[in-house]
Amino acid sequence: MYVELNSILNSTPDTFTQGEFILVSDRRSDASFLIHHFLSFYLRARCRVCFLGLVQSFSHYSAVSQRLGVSLTQAKEKGQLIFFEGLKESLSVLVPRDANGASPAINFLRDPSVGLRSLYEFVRSSLSSFNSREKAADGAEEWGPPVLLVDDLSVLLSLGVSVGAALDFSHYCSATVCSQLQGNMVMLVRCDGEEEEEDEGSDRLLKGLTHQCSLSLHVEGLPTGYCRDIHGQVEVCWRKRRGEGLHTQKKLFQYKVHDKGASFFARGTSSTVL
Amino acid sequence: MAAPVNSVGKPSPERLPLNTTSFQKKTRSKLISIPGTRPSVQNGQLLVSTGVTSLDYLLGGGLAVGTVLLVEEDRYDSYSRMILKYFLSEGVVCRHELFVATAQDDPDDILQELPAPILDDVAIHKPLEQPLLSCEPSNSLDAMKIAWRYQNLPKVQSALASSSRFGHYYDVSKTMEPEIRQAAKCHRFYLPEHPTLSSPTHSPVLESYSALLKSLQDIIHKEGFDVAAPMSRPRNILRIGLHSLGSALWGDDLTCHDNPAHRHALTTFLYGLRALLRSSLAVAVVTVSSHLIQDRALMGSITRLCDNAIALESFKGSERETNPLYKDYHGLLHVRQVPHLNCLASQLPDHKDLAFKLKRKQFTIERLHLPPDLSETVSRVSRGEQAGAAAVASACGSGTSGNKHLDF
Amino acid sequence: MLPELLQSTDAGGLLIIRDFASFSGRHLLKSFINASLNRNEAVHVLGFEISKEELKHGLKEPNNQRLHIHDAFSDPLGWTDHPAFTVQQFSFEELTHLITQTSQHKPVNLVIDSLSWILRHVSPTVVCKTLQQLKKGGAVRSIIGLLHADMHQNGTVGSVCHLATSVITVTPGTKRDEAVAKITKRSKSGKVMQDEEMFIINEDLTVTIQNKPNHAGSKRTDSEEQESDPTANLTFNLRLSDTEREAKEKLALPFVFSKEKKTALLHSGPGSGRILYEPDANDNYDQEDPDDDLDV
Repeated sequence: MYVELNSILNSTPDTFTQGEFILVSDRRSDASFLIHHFLSFYLRARCRVCFLGLVQSFSHYSAVSQRLGVSLTQAKEKGQLIFFEGLKESLSVLVPRDANGASPAINFLRDPSVGLRSLYEFVRSSLSSFNSREKAADGAEEWGPPVLLVDDLSVLLSLGVSVGAALDFSHYCSATVCSQLQGNMVMLVRCDGEEEEEDEGSDRLLKGLTHQCSLSLHVEGLPTGYCRDIHGQVEVCWRKRRGEGLHTQKKLFQYKVHDKGASFFARGTSSTVL
Repeated sequence: MAAPVNSVGKPSPERLPLNTTSFQKKTRSKLISIPGTRPSVQNGQLLVSTGVTSLDYLLGGGLAVGTVLLVEEDRYDSYSRMILKYFLSEGVVCRHELFVATAQDDPDDILQELPAPILDDVAIHKPLEQPLLSCEPSNSLDAMKIAWRYQNLPKVQSALASSSRFGHYYDVSKTMEPEIRQAAKCHRFYLPEHPTLSSPTHSPVLESYSALLKSLQDIIHKEGFDVAAPMSRPRNILRIGLHSLGSALWGDDLTCHDNPAHRHALTTFLYGLRALLRSSLAVAVVTVSSHLIQDRALMGSITRLCDNAIALESFKGSERETNPLYKDYHGLLHVRQVPHLNCLASQLPDHKDLAFKLKRKQFTIERLHLPPDLSETVSRVSRGEQAGAAAVASACGSGTSGNKHLDF
Repeated sequence: MLPELLQSTDAGGLLIIRDFASFSGRHLLKSFINASLNRNEAVHVLGFEISKEELKHGLKEPNNQRLHIHDAFSDPLGWTDHPAFTVQQFSFEELTHLITQTSQHKPVNLVIDSLSWILRHVSPTVVCKTLQQLKKGGAVRSIIGLLHADMHQNGTVGSVCHLATSVITVTPGTKRDEAVAKITKRSKSGKVMQDEEMFIINEDLTVTIQNKPNHAGSKRTDSEEQESDPTANLTFNLRLSDTEREAKEKLALPFVFSKEKKTALLHSGPGSGRILYEPDANDNYDQEDPDDDLDV
């Protein structure tokens, strides 16, 4: 996890807001480094995590998490992490070798018009079985609130799922994970093109999710162009804040991704400039 | 130069065969012996050469095994086809296996056009020699008295030399000798030969793509390219070349309509291709006629589903052909995407303002520079050429819009 | 105009709050619910987008008997076995049935959070018909709906707003807590009133109106920037006291004529000199060729 991002978001693995829906989005950039942050953050916070890894293999996330100091394999063995490997599951639908063997969660690949209900059922059954008061098999561990991470939601649009179905999926996940189980949810959405263009797909998905979320982190390239030492800017927007008033608060930071983390700084205060 | 591959940090945990993908950290004993590959200096990943050494450099050392390279075709498909041929030729020279799929020309036509490698050290691998190499010690025992430890090594020593070298050069004016080419095992998929079965599913994938995916999986399983396959056979890399996917000849209307009916056929296929490759020792180069696809957002999702992506823009037929600024080059090359796999960030060379030129013995990719102002009068270049420079800068993604001319 | 809308008790009205992803209109919606409860009216809320607890949070009397929240958040599509309220139940008959079941004979205000959710699953024509029937029919006195204008095509938003008696469009203001409301109200007589106000929603969900937005000065990007008065901290005096100003105005300027002289000059009477000019043949009128007389 990235220490500076923790202080920006005012959260540590011991104290963080529960019931949050965090939306991570990017436009012509790559915000997946934030997903790695949240994955290692919530694993360190001893939460039970359900990770829908739809775009990369397990070993990719495992290798990066290793650099951030968390072992995904161990977490899986302990039962703390449920990892859904979308690529592997999809092969059983796209190139069927035998009749059964496909997880029902990937049913949307067979017929995208059906929607993501079975994927939601998979999430619900994975996370509901984590009762926070339930002790694990070895009797010593107690897990924190359940967390759902999705990387990423826009690939579903490329596979034929409609924007409405994706929004319904996120609505149901938010109702179950955030409201009912008081856990957290992090979803990544990727956009292409400028905001003003009529993009029926990922832009509409982004807007719909922005209405639903309580915290949004939007990653973009620098408006002034390419820079070797500053990889882009992140706009953090707090939408729903219970105790502190009703207004939205926005802050802008610039960031740089290193080998073992990422650093965040206020605009114009990059170490190369100062 | 093959650097030894170290496993970073703790020793790798016990791997269940089902979970292995081609992105495991390779320990020294496992896969270092595949000819034509080398580990990346940044994250230990196994890389192969694309056949074009300057392209290898731009991609961070080479093409990672288990990934896809998307090549957006130039208007007349001349240079993208050339890159595909370089890729396949490199496979022949490195003794990899090939898989070529086309819908337009017969794969054998492409294979016959492969450029000849520039040989100093590539041995002509005669298949007849092979049985001799599996030596029987009895015959040659008397041959070497002192150096008897070396008697079982193959006689043609240069074969090892060529496989340990990464990246070769090719002479475009000559085609590859049939003996060299036939030494490499090649699988082919020619769409007209595959009858289209009507699939009962509502899956968005087209029958042609499904058949191609199935054929790929069959080859990978049969020939042992699975990462999880037993270690009994010597491992090799499968090089997959898919020509002009998304074109009308594949049955896809992506390039025909502004609002295609098979909107998600190609993207679903690419998703399945990525799934296949991540669990096999294979690399794929896919060419797409992106200049015919009207929907930029769709092009964006296609790019994101491939790991590496470059676009070729040739000057032929455009007004830039006569622009003196570009007279040294054949076209522009845009690097649209390079992956960060198994790591958060990687050091990559600058990808701005690249132009390529197909020379006889080399496909060069260089940073576009303005020619030096050698005229006696210190006159500025005309406005039209300055506009060309600005266009080049803006064409390379989020490039700076600054003027290249410095006003001294 | 916003306070009047908040306090209005007109029947048969449809009020639509349009918001965007940049600023949520839900707080304003809650203000309307609060105001309605204060007037002892019954309020039925169709809560699709946030949970019951979140809706109740901040309301003055969340456990008021007159407030009925129908939980359409937990299972609006019927994916579980016991959905509380599904989107299919958004029809005139079902809603009337639902309302008359729970409330007796008090006038009922129906609040929909949000219409965008319904529009995603029910076609706009059906939604418009239902809204129109509810407007006319007896069980519901007035309807307030939240609509996310950036989630739909312009035509959809336009058609739904066309049915409304009042539309409030909420956009973020320049300062942190402020928002700008553009209000359009159609009265029964057909008159259309429009207004634009800046407002703040307080902690207790009452609305405070700020000054009307000044268009010249409202384009301030940095909200912390104070208005700097350039004549403030100078070593010389650039201002005028009142006596000085009077003296300045009394001063007769040299070329300012009295009123009589002005009129005399403007209307030149007979006998004033006039100059008559007839161009001669020798006079050169052609500006183009100054050397016309050169006959070379």
